[in-house]
Amino acid sequence: MMKQAGSSSNIFSIKYRLKRLKRDSNRWSIFTLAIILFIALPIISIGVKLFAGPGETWGHIVDNLLLDYIGNSLFLVFVCSFLVLLFGVSSAWLVARFEFPLRKQMEWLLILPLAIPGYIVAYAYAGVFDYGGSMDLIFRWLGWDFIRIDIMNKAGLAFVLSISLFPYVYVSSRAFFLNQANNLLEASTILGVGEFKSFFKLMLPLARPAIIAGLILVLMEVLNDYGAAQYYGVNTFTTGIFRAWFSLEEPETAVYLSALLIVIVFALILFEKWQRRNIKVSSARSNNTYIHRKSSSKFSQFLILLVVLIPVVLGFFIPVLQLIYWATLTFEKVFDLDFLMLSLQSFGIAILTAMITVLFATFLIYFSKWSFLGFIKNIARMGILGYAIPGAVIAIGIMIPTLAFDKWLIGALDYLFSIKTGLLINGTLVALVYAYCVRFLAVAFNPIESTSLKVSNTIPDSSKMLGVGNLKTFFRIEFPLIKTGILSALILVFIDVLKELPLTLILKPFHINTLAVKAYEYASDEMIMEAAIPSLFIIFTAALPVIFLNKLLIKK
Amino acid sequence: MLNIKSLSKSFDKGKSFALKEVSFKLEKGDICAVVGESGSGKTTLVRLIAGLERPDHGSIELEGTEVSSIKKLVSPEKRKIGLVFQEYALFPHLTLLENVLYGISKQKNKKQRAKEMLELVGLTAMENRYPHQLSGGQQQRVALARALAPNPSLLILDEPFSNLDAMLRMQLRSQVFEIIKKTGVTAIFVTHDTQDALSVADEILILQHGEVIQKDAAANLYIKPNSVYVASLFGNTIQLNKELQSAFECPLNANCCHAIRNESLTINSECEYVTYANVLKKTFLGDNIQLLLKLDNGEQLTVLTKERNIADKIKIGFNSKDVLEFTS
Repeated sequence: MMKQAGSSSNIFSIKYRLKRLKRDSNRWSIFTLAIILFIALPIISIGVKLFAGPGETWGHIVDNLLLDYIGNSLFLVFVCSFLVLLFGVSSAWLVARFEFPLRKQMEWLLILPLAIPGYIVAYAYAGVFDYGGSMDLIFRWLGWDFIRIDIMNKAGLAFVLSISLFPYVYVSSRAFFLNQANNLLEASTILGVGEFKSFFKLMLPLARPAIIAGLILVLMEVLNDYGAAQYYGVNTFTTGIFRAWFSLEEPETAVYLSALLIVIVFALILFEKWQRRNIKVSSARSNNTYIHRKSSSKFSQFLILLVVLIPVVLGFFIPVLQLIYWATLTFEKVFDLDFLMLSLQSFGIAILTAMITVLFATFLIYFSKWSFLGFIKNIARMGILGYAIPGAVIAIGIMIPTLAFDKWLIGALDYLFSIKTGLLINGTLVALVYAYCVRFLAVAFNPIESTSLKVSNTIPDSSKMLGVGNLKTFFRIEFPLIKTGILSALILVFIDVLKELPLTLILKPFHINTLAVKAYEYASDEMIMEAAIPSLFIIFTAALPVIFLNKLLIKK
Repeated sequence: MLNIKSLSKSFDKGKSFALKEVSFKLEKGDICAVVGESGSGKTTLVRLIAGLERPDHGSIELEGTEVSSIKKLVSPEKRKIGLVFQEYALFPHLTLLENVLYGISKQKNKKQRAKEMLELVGLTAMENRYPHQLSGGQQQRVALARALAPNPSLLILDEPFSNLDAMLRMQLRSQVFEIIKKTGVTAIFVTHDTQDALSVADEILILQHGEVIQKDAAANLYIKPNSVYVASLFGNTIQLNKELQSAFECPLNANCCHAIRNESLTINSECEYVTYANVLKKTFLGDNIQLLLKLDNGEQLTVLTKERNIADKIKIGFNSKDVLEFTS
């Protein structure tokens, strides 16, 4: 016994561990590390650049603007949280729990606001409430006095962001209500607890982790927003980064603001992890049955429909109708061959990026699976943190190393071969796609990972036992089984790239344009009506897959 | 054929061991059952042999070549081991024939070989069906055919019958091992069911908390278990503690542990050691009746009997030749 105890502690001595590390490291471990390094490079370069010290105007910003940035960003975080919870949770509960007319249609209509980027909702609402805007016209037509609501301020900004982002909370809490609530709800009903009390005392606390997970996504998008805040004239961290980069031409200051923003985002992520600390894996409750819907009187059914319609009308129909109205006014001016070419370019970039990002996400998932080192699997998951980091920050983080690399390359080529070239990565499509890839890796990662988890490990293991290696096993066995996950990943990244604005503004090559940037340019140039057509192109392209994906998810 | 030396695996960096210092050998053509409760390390052991897990310590030799040690690991696809999983793990998007063909796609007469294999397991007529169109027992046989097709040097079956109901299980068990014996392949068969192990294996290896408790021929294990644990795995066993020894007035070596199998107890007949008992409770279990007895010295004892007419007071006893003695 003494000998055994001695030898088993010996097995975990550092020398022995190193031996095993050497034995168990394979190329897949190295590839995984390489991908993570590639993804983390923008953040690392921001961290390194911090040591170079802040720019000249940093002191001025700290004294005069920083409080404004922090105050406004916090205001947005709190007000948006309140509003998206109000819209998202209530509609999710009503749709999941009650039977009412048009319920099926409402299920997917409530997701549609996600198809409209926040800045486009902002443009549309500016048009609705402006002098001579839609409200004004309708009021005059009705013969009423127009009471103008000023929406171009931070309260208005919080409203437009909330109304376009609440579906994240709707989707995550609805999934909980549909699949995990039924047993408890039935128990609660049997105990004679009423509908209201059941919801507030039972469902709300239980759904909290799901709701907050959705909320965190919303808040990341809120902090990421540039277009809406800029148009409404609200100073936030993101607009601050843009100002430092473009107006003040001080990269160092942009870096300092970015670093601060990263700290805020990671605080949010830690908060989310902390609030889930006592929650066991949800599959523990997987024996739950699908929720049973209640049907009530005709009148209350009608009331429920009205309540659910509010966010749909505010978040989708009003902005879309406003844009369609503008589009009819500006159609002849905007819609020409150049615009079609621009759309094709935009779609092309989105498709290319979607394919590359999905490829990287798949690599990351499977390479880390094929690596035998436990820590590699944890590191691989860090690759998806890019989604938390605002686009403007990623853009700055990519500018720095690519610019340095290009300068080095130009120097080296000139020195070695006397070849004179311009910038090779910075300011080209490569840098833009790279940045998209960093930002949207998580968007591709999650659907692929969740379908891959549905394939039992014994399936690829069986293939290996039959003498077939990892790569072949992937193509012959796993790929056919995770096709739907890959397809959803492609679609989701495609939509996100199409909608993306801040990162694209900073990194896009001079001669290349996207629909999002075109809409932004029109809006910034006081041609808000002309922004309608590119906006509608984005919305309709994004809306079709949203409906399709919802069908796919419900089928499962 | 298979030689395993002090194999250890921990999933929590040495705090606890799923497998600890396991060593054993297997000769060619042997069928060895690995028996243990859930969590005893059975599945870890076979996954280490297959190369699907990496050992923290120890070595594995297969047909004279080292496939696993602290310095070197041969990847699972190069070990020529066939593995049948508990949940069969058939490829859901391939037909039966394609499933069986999968591992032999580089062989010359692959079609013929695959068809032979399906014939061996009696599923020729279904070669174009997909796994989900099959019953559990049929899926099991396909998994076996698929594993045997590349002619593996070692076949591992991990709890192959645990997802089947009792009737089908017995039927399939004899079918499967007939096939295995026909092919003459060396096989390791993991089970928590000792009936399974006794009925088909030449040798049985008992695992408890990741350590080998005993490895012996099937019959020997039953007759000469080396611990109360092993004895109790193979049938109802009553440990003869001091109180019971005094009740039966049987003086036994105080340095050893003793036990007696339930089936060796006699009721109302003459034996070397006897005592009287009051029947406190009778529970009807179908083939047996469970009796809760209170012995004359106050000790309580639960026994099973096939006897249907049990009086309120009985005489029970056993013979010294049936006493199992353990040194630890």
